[in-house]
Amino acid sequence: MRFFWTLLTITLFLFNPFIANADGRIFVTNERSNTISVINAKSLTIESTIEIGERPRGIGLSPDNTELYVAVSEENKIVVVDPNTLKILREFEAGSDPETFAVHPNGNIYISNEDAAKATVFDPKTGKKIAEIKVGLEPEGVAISPDGKRVIVTSESTNMLHVIKTPENIIENNILVGSRPRSATFTRSGNIAYATAEISGEVVKVDIVKAKIIQTGSTGDNKSKPKDVILSKDEKTIYVAAGRANKVIVMDANTLEIIKEIPVGKRVWGLAMSGNGEYIFTTNGVSGTVSVIDTGKNEVIKTIKVGEFPWGVVVKDN
Amino acid sequence: MPIKKIRFLLIIAMLVSFNLNAEIIEADFAYIGQEDHPALLGVKQGIDESNLQGQFLNQKYNLEIISENKIEEHNFTKYIAILTTVKSEELKNLAKKLTNIPIFNLTDESNELRINCITNILHITPSSKMKADALKQWQTKTPDSKANPQSWHYSFKKFAARDLNKRFKKNYKTNMDDYSWAGWAAVKMTSDTIARTKIINAKNMLNYLKTKLTFDGQKGSDMNFRVTGQLRQLILLVEDNKVIAEAPVRGIAKPATLESLGILNCSK
Repeated sequence: MRFFWTLLTITLFLFNPFIANADGRIFVTNERSNTISVINAKSLTIESTIEIGERPRGIGLSPDNTELYVAVSEENKIVVVDPNTLKILREFEAGSDPETFAVHPNGNIYISNEDAAKATVFDPKTGKKIAEIKVGLEPEGVAISPDGKRVIVTSESTNMLHVIKTPENIIENNILVGSRPRSATFTRSGNIAYATAEISGEVVKVDIVKAKIIQTGSTGDNKSKPKDVILSKDEKTIYVAAGRANKVIVMDANTLEIIKEIPVGKRVWGLAMSGNGEYIFTTNGVSGTVSVIDTGKNEVIKTIKVGEFPWGVVVKDN
Repeated sequence: MPIKKIRFLLIIAMLVSFNLNAEIIEADFAYIGQEDHPALLGVKQGIDESNLQGQFLNQKYNLEIISENKIEEHNFTKYIAILTTVKSEELKNLAKKLTNIPIFNLTDESNELRINCITNILHITPSSKMKADALKQWQTKTPDSKANPQSWHYSFKKFAARDLNKRFKKNYKTNMDDYSWAGWAAVKMTSDTIARTKIINAKNMLNYLKTKLTFDGQKGSDMNFRVTGQLRQLILLVEDNKVIAEAPVRGIAKPATLESLGILNCSK
């Protein structure tokens, strides 16, 4: 009997579908529970829950993965957590209503301050504000090119992608897109970006250097309210969280035609990919769950219960 | 400084200012109504937001306030749109006088105005029938509810309504109500259209608004107009100063769309 259990354990271990380092973790902000859910990347179960503050939304890691940053919107601050010990290290004032942010390769944080029509740059090591950039109304999505030369901030109520040059931190171009642009992502070259427009139900592919839309794709039925967008490792496919349509839409990155729709939990907003590109994690706001998608099959392989209104998600691979 | 150098600098300055001006698109709105009406605060909020967008696109929006008793003598040719709180006969007369300019009705709820399908009136405010239908749907579900049907409410949070409420209150120290939302929406949908299409001719604007508009009114789905000139929109059900439901009411509304509210067709 003991032999049987040993064999079963070994078999389960060998055939565990999730291949990641033993200390890999997925961090999720729960907007209504005011917590961070910590998911073990190997077992895909909740390892810990951290009390973080009122209305946590944006979440991200330092370039060396040694610090986890969380935007605590109602308290106007960024809380810094050690992603290994899960201890809160420090916090700093991050301007009015910080919503989402992205971490620059140099370690600085670019934050959208939703109710102040601006983006702010902080050095998270010192908490010092480095720059302030005036953008349109309700700035939300922030994306940074892999080479760090450009930053996109989307302004939801001004319907624009603001392209910011770094290190000057000045606006280089403003690109008018569909209604309520929410999120953007760059290709590895940094010359092309994808962005979602929630109200018009569109995804646009934009030439960032020429500041021109090169392709527009529809997310289909009018229930689809696209939010997060991410790109596959081979850059041939994009994944779009379709909000109240309760699915992730898989699109051809070139033509923006829909290839497949993957049903997930209710009100899907956030998306994050594992470092090897094999898994996508979605936050399903109304369901209070995270769906794990296997990108090889484009199917959900597991659903994990987290806190109330999960919003942001980030993957730490090692 | 030698005269030659001054002249040179002047020419440079002129060239620079000419270049800047060359690209600017300007549009003028006229508001006709009382100066202390909440609709005017919404209009001003809309102008502010449009200019915020305009600074990135070289577009500038102006507002002129015209009192009701000056309508006859005023020259309206330069305006891209008229925003008004005047009602019934006066509104109809205005529409007859200014046939090629979009006239936004911000306050009059009469069903008759919708049934008449006056080509250049765009009704932002919902008709009485829209509100009555919304209430009827809600009371089918909860017969004892004393809810009030409204087009906007300061406690509304969904669809980024929270953000609009917050910035309006910050600017005007008062809550955004149905009329101020209507004023805001009318300006914003016009300036959004200019930003996208560069239309600055009133007649073309009217045509675009009636046939091609998709507008984010911060009330959820994209907004557009019926043949009656009525803006399609959800209705909020408000009780004890809280939004308790939205119509179309799920599971009750037939059809289960915005077409379950109000008048759909013109009278023949």
